[in-house]
This record gives sequence, structure tokens and C-alpha cells, in this order.
Amino acid sequence: MPRPFTPGVERGVFDNALAQARLAEELGFDTVWAVEHHFLEEYSHCSAPEIFLAAVAAQTSRIRIGHGAVVCVPVINHPIRVAERAAFLDVISNGRLEFGTARSSTWTEIGGFQADPDATKKDWDEYVRILPRMWMEERLEYHGNCFSMPERGVLPKPVQDPHPPLWVTVTSPGTELDAADRGIGALGVASAGFAEQERRTREYHRRIQLCDPVGGTVNNRVATLNFLYCHEDHKFAAERGLLFLGSFGMLNAHLFFTREAYPTSAYQSLANLAPSPPKQGGPGDAVRLPEGMCLGDPTHVIQAIKSWESIGVDEINFLVNAVEVLSNEEVTESLRLFAHEVMPAFSKC
Amino acid sequence: MLIGNGNIEALAQGAPVIESFGTDELQLEQVETLQVLCEIQGAGTDSLLPPALHPTLPPAVTWLVQRVPESPWGPFGLAQCRIECRSGLRPRGFLRTGVIDNPQAAEALSTRWGYRLRAGHVALDRGYDRVRATVAVEERTILDLAARAPQPLDPHDVYYVANMNLADSPHGLRLVQVDSAFEVERAERGSPIIDCFDAGAWDSEGVRPSYPVSASFTVGRVTLPRLRYICRPDILAFEGTERVDT
Repeated sequence: MPRPFTPGVERGVFDNALAQARLAEELGFDTVWAVEHHFLEEYSHCSAPEIFLAAVAAQTSRIRIGHGAVVCVPVINHPIRVAERAAFLDVISNGRLEFGTARSSTWTEIGGFQADPDATKKDWDEYVRILPRMWMEERLEYHGNCFSMPERGVLPKPVQDPHPPLWVTVTSPGTELDAADRGIGALGVASAGFAEQERRTREYHRRIQLCDPVGGTVNNRVATLNFLYCHEDHKFAAERGLLFLGSFGMLNAHLFFTREAYPTSAYQSLANLAPSPPKQGGPGDAVRLPEGMCLGDPTHVIQAIKSWESIGVDEINFLVNAVEVLSNEEVTESLRLFAHEVMPAFSKC
Repeated sequence: MLIGNGNIEALAQGAPVIESFGTDELQLEQVETLQVLCEIQGAGTDSLLPPALHPTLPPAVTWLVQRVPESPWGPFGLAQCRIECRSGLRPRGFLRTGVIDNPQAAEALSTRWGYRLRAGHVALDRGYDRVRATVAVEERTILDLAARAPQPLDPHDVYYVANMNLADSPHGLRLVQVDSAFEVERAERGSPIIDCFDAGAWDSEGVRPSYPVSASFTVGRVTLPRLRYICRPDILAFEGTERVDT
């Protein structure tokens, strides 16, 4: 969201995002995801994604609705409200919900709600175990660590049987193993190179075979984060893409991460999400794209996706813009070109 | 994005002078460090940083109080007041000013690493119920901090950002990156207590502590580095960073 944050600017960005979601459905994309963030000026103003996704659900009929990810911290989202809202979204979208979980990595958010950083990982574990029960059991009584409730029926119940697919955002290395052990999908939000992603994906798929599922079904998919700007002119696409990628990377690096503010074993990394640029040569050398980024002409993008596919990645989630550095027209043209030139190269399309 | 808008001429007043970038690294053993981080009220805080640096959101101050039992200049106590910031993509702490109790150490830290320092009394007292730091200048207390009820912490869990010290250098007025290495042997975390902070005495008028976030105490080796990077204070670090160790 570009400064200044006038009401018109925010309205414009939300309108663009809704239009892009409608176009994505028309073009054959599988899922539209909306994140949950709080207080992150410029970086993300998506503080109520369930509202945005309800609008997407109302304006579309096929595309899946990615609620990813809900911050599973009691002072931010009470678990009962999380279960209710998610089920409601699944009902009004007629069973199209993908449900992501997370715990937040910035002090700006954790501190803003005065949540306990030491407890977020434990709280998340409790959420992913109890949410499926709230959806599957007619009535439920629960006595836990982060919350308790007397016997109640949590309503409504989701349309999908037994419940929407569960995911967890993977920011810190090792969370993909937590996902595998619990039988939930690994929703990669931190860009990793091919070799590292291949290692993580292989280990995830090996480990999930032995999982003790927290829900009524296993979601064994691995999704990664990527950046999409597709244009017929590869050089132009790379230049615009670098601007887009750089803007995101700059804003991401400027987040005030919990590890920086509060010493705790619960946050072992700064959780930077942007991909690292390749090592540069001498001064004056052209800046190069990080490996695997979908910023280029259709041939380049197809090759990048095939590389991810070859190492076992099931899905790729594309960021399509950051702080509106690309115009809405550039984004929609990029999506159209991707649909016409890139999608046919893959068997599912 | 947010960018510092501090007046360079005002920030430069009293800046230390570095005559050469060729300083060697220096290892200091068994250094005790109390670090307290506190959010500060946002209004006007962008002016605490030069245009090379970006404020954090929320803005925050860190106080670093260290007791060095042994050095080439004898034992010394050092206290720093730093504004959390970003230099390009990197987390940093911009040194507003520091207080030190050893003139020889003050001279070395200023002329070799660009620390802006004034003379004073620095005390760091470690107890089982709290670790307390007090700093006084001309017999007036200007800082009184504590980590209350400290509990053991994994040494890897404490994170220190590098300093950006504004100094007159052979290349002119520059931000000098001092990325000291902390090899922590023992770490504790307590509740942050801020009993006294005289912002004016730390050249930090406008810094109003609002939300104490964390307090940590560590013991270990601190290595003051060879200087590698400097940065022009008047333009963004992406454009104004220069390498000086080649």
C-alpha cells in the first residue's frame, strides 16, 4: 500500500485486488490467497482477510479461497471465532476454502496485541489440534492451555467433509517438519533456492507418510512462494520484475522482527521472506534475478515452474504486485499472458 | 517507505574523528552486557536518524550497558543509547551518544571505531533478583535500567544489531558500521525496568520511552571488528555505502 494512506488509496488497492481475483478465476488459476497482517504500514493492510475473501467468494464461483494464514494467537484471534469464520467462509463459498495457520513473526504485530512471544508456537499447536474438532464434532467441551470452553456446538459446520484442507505457513526452516508430523500442508512463504527447497520437500513427503493427523484428513501438499510478472519482452519483464521484487524485499526487510526485539527460543530467525539475490560480480555488473523467480517472458516462466515441479513442489503461490509498483493494467496483462502462454505447458491445464 | 530526516549539520556536531580505517579487530573477554529495548513515541522520531537510515515501525531505542573487565586500556564501563533502524536491508542501531568511564578507552573507541562518547560513571550490578545499570554524568543520574527477575536463556537467543556511528573520517562525514561479534557464554532475560532516562543528556531530545519490550543480560567475548563499510549520511545506504577494507 503506497503512502500516503488516504481512504481513496486503500479503496483503490482493494478494488484492484478484487478485480484481479475475478480475473484469476476467469483465466483458470486455482486459488486466491489473502494474508493476515496487522499494523504493517505499506507492507500489508490486509488486517481482515475474511472480509476480503467473503467478497471474493461472492464475486466468483469456482476459484478456491485461500485464508492464509490466520494468526493463531488467542489475543489476536480467539480459536472459537477462527473456527466460526472459517466455516462460514466455507459455507458461503460452497466448499472452496483452503485454511492456513500461522503465528506471526513481527514484533510490530505480536507487541501491538501484547501477545506473549514465548507462547505463540505452543498456541499454534493447540489451535491446529482443536480447530478440526470444532468443525467435526457436533458439540465440544475443551480444557486446554491457551483457552477452555464448556460444551457448545461451534456453528456453522463447514461444507467440505470432514473440513477444509489445513496448511501452515513455513517461514522458519523446520516448520515444514511440524507440518508433516501433523498431516497438514506446507505453505511456503519464504523463498528458498532450488536445492534447499528440494531438500525440504523431500523430507516433508518422507515424514508425512508417518504422520499423526491433527484433522480428519491429511493435506500432503507443498506450496512455495514466487513472484510473477510475465511479459513478451523478457528484458522489460526482468527490469519491471526486479523493481517489484526489490520493493517487496525492501519492505519485508524493514519489518521489525520479533527476534530483534525480544530474545526468545520461540523465534530463531528474522524470518525474512524475500529471496536472496545471487552473488554479484564486479561493480557495474547487471543485477540478476534470484533463481526460480517467475519474472520474465513466457519461456522463462515455464522453465522456472518446471524446475520447481521437478523437485516435488505441488503448488506455487504468486505475489503479483507490491506497493502498487506495477499498475493494475500491468498485473492483469501479466496474468492474461501467463494464462495463455504458460498454463498450456502444464498437463493439468 | 520511512526515511530518516535528521539535520546532518546538527547530527555532526561533536562527531568523533577517525584518522584511519586501518584499525585492527580487538577481542574483549568476559564482557557483561545489559541490553534493554523500548518502544518510543513516534512523533518526530524520524529526525533522530540521518537520511541514510530508515526508522523501524514501531520506533525503538536500545540501551546497551557493558562492563569490560580487561582491555589494553584497563577495565571500563560503556553505555550507549541507540535508535533502532535499517541501513538498506540490514537491521542496525544508530548511536546517538555514549558514556564511558575510562579516558584511554574513550580515546581508542572514538578514534578507531567512531564512538561518540562523553565521560561519566557507568555501573552494572548483577544480582539474582535483577541486573541493574546506572549511568551518571557530573554526579547526575541520566540512566537507570534493570532486568528484573532474570531467567536463564539459550546464549543463541540474544540478538545484537551492529552500530552505525557517525564520525568525521578520511572520506568525510560518514556512518561507520561497527558490527561487533558477540560470542555469548551465558544469557538471561528479565522484565525491562526503566526508572530514569534523561533524553537530553544522551543527545536524544524527543525520545520518549513508551513501551518497555525486553531486557537481556549476557556474558561473553565481544570482538570489536576491523572496519569494513562506511556510508554517506545524506543519501540512502543503497547508494552511499563504501567498502574500506580493500
